[in-house]
Amino acid sequence: MNAIETQGLSKHFGKRAAVDGLTMSTPAGSIAGFIGPNGAGKTTTLRLLLGLVRADAGSAAILGSPLTEPDGYLARVGALVEAPAFYPSLSGRTNLGVLARLGGYSRSRVGEMLEMVGLSDRARDRVGTYSLGMKQRLGVAMALLPDPDLLFLDEPANGLDPLGVIWIRDLLRHLRDQGKTILLSSHLLGELEQVADWLVILHEGKALFCGPARDLLAQRVEIAVEAEDAVRRELVVQIAEGAGYAVTRDERALRIACPASFAETLNRKASEAGVTDLAIRVKEGSLEELFLALVKGDRP
Amino acid sequence: MTSVIRAFLSEVLKFRRWSVLAGAGAMVAVSTFIAYLTFHQIASGATGKEMAGLIAAFHTPQGLVAIMGQARSLIIAIALVLVSANLAAEWTQGTLRNLLVREPHRLRWLAGKMLAVVLFVLLSMLLTLIVGGAFVLILAQGQGIQTAAWTSAEGLRIFLEFLGNEVLCLIGVSALGMLIAVLTRSVVAAVGIALAYILVIEGIIAVVAPQVSQWFPGRVFNTIVGATVPLVGPAPAQGYPAALLASVLWIAGFAAASALVLPRQDIKA
Repeated sequence: MNAIETQGLSKHFGKRAAVDGLTMSTPAGSIAGFIGPNGAGKTTTLRLLLGLVRADAGSAAILGSPLTEPDGYLARVGALVEAPAFYPSLSGRTNLGVLARLGGYSRSRVGEMLEMVGLSDRARDRVGTYSLGMKQRLGVAMALLPDPDLLFLDEPANGLDPLGVIWIRDLLRHLRDQGKTILLSSHLLGELEQVADWLVILHEGKALFCGPARDLLAQRVEIAVEAEDAVRRELVVQIAEGAGYAVTRDERALRIACPASFAETLNRKASEAGVTDLAIRVKEGSLEELFLALVKGDRP
Repeated sequence: MTSVIRAFLSEVLKFRRWSVLAGAGAMVAVSTFIAYLTFHQIASGATGKEMAGLIAAFHTPQGLVAIMGQARSLIIAIALVLVSANLAAEWTQGTLRNLLVREPHRLRWLAGKMLAVVLFVLLSMLLTLIVGGAFVLILAQGQGIQTAAWTSAEGLRIFLEFLGNEVLCLIGVSALGMLIAVLTRSVVAAVGIALAYILVIEGIIAVVAPQVSQWFPGRVFNTIVGATVPLVGPAPAQGYPAALLASVLWIAGFAAASALVLPRQDIKA
């Protein structure tokens, strides 16, 4: 079952399409990494799913309820969208109290959440005196206040120190183990690689990839081929492109975005064409390299 | 209804903010100071055309209300700033997105919030009248001035009538502040436009087209208070019942316009 499903979701601001026919899904009980360059439409998508902005076209279902009926699902949703926004002259406890009263949650839940994010000692201090990392922790507490089935987290590790980053990573895993679904928007691709079991890659308002993280990460191999003369390199390009793989040309080498198994095929086809002295290396790329390749269109 | 009560209770917690308390404090302090100045002028035997009415009413049951009512325009301006800034700040600070995730029925949230904010404004006004009134009474007794007429049954009736009209006036001003905030979605713009409208634009229209301006909201809300005690400001030229009806229609109009705009807005703050 999917916690989030969108079909052709679109949102325009004036003539600019912030979200452009977005079709994506997120399985229940997963941590879904939500990746995209600045302006890709991540925050607008989150706002659409939270009922804060209205879609121009398309449809979506969140926790089984349609997007057009946010009261059907928002009680089971927690969210931290963009930088955490609080009343700076109120204490952390009162800020959470405002939302607890509005959502009808008990006062004890506020204390529990403050304890959970490690802010009990500073709960009575004004939020205006908090560091960025503390505000971020309070934002996570705010999102967890309704004990949600679905969490939208936008850059939750922003401003956290290394211990804080580890804390948030462990917290996310713990929440997933409890069966909660987390849509995690982040630029920290290394972090996402460690926790996400589902990935949605967004570019110019469209999903470039939406699927299990392992499927994408299995593709994170590229082959580097070194050849002295241009004729040999051109032969390699023809073989790779003929097989449907994108080739990036460096000065004396070629980089082919393809599975590792293609190295053998390439070597065989090159030998058949009379080229036997190619230097072929299989290189494992990072999620960051994969992401860049997808966004730049280097990878089919 | 439960959602409205939750929104109300949630808003009450936010009154601890110094900016909100400062608004109420300013209302009490400045109004009391103006009342003191007015009292001092009368008690020290000031003369002049502008003061003649006040001096004549000083020892009558209207005396206390006439003195307290001198700060009425200021109370209106502070109330307008307080309401528009309070609501617009939810957009400016970005807190609106947190609130609307917890209460997706935007109108229920707005109703609960506005109930609390209007109640706060009215309590601030009541506190202003109590503190200012008590201060003037103490001053008067200290100087041996006869105040029996002020606290007589007739004096109390006039005070309550004044209070009733002031309540209606401030509800109207709050509704105007709400609409301005919903339309501008920014504290600076909301406060600037609210003050410019009430202090400048309506004033200019009053000079250019006085017959038309008497029906404008700022003028209507202002003059219904003057209907009780003409000494505290201009009485409604169109008559009290017509001004009362216009006030109610303006309030309904502002509420309807806000209710139409807010649910259709994209929350990008």
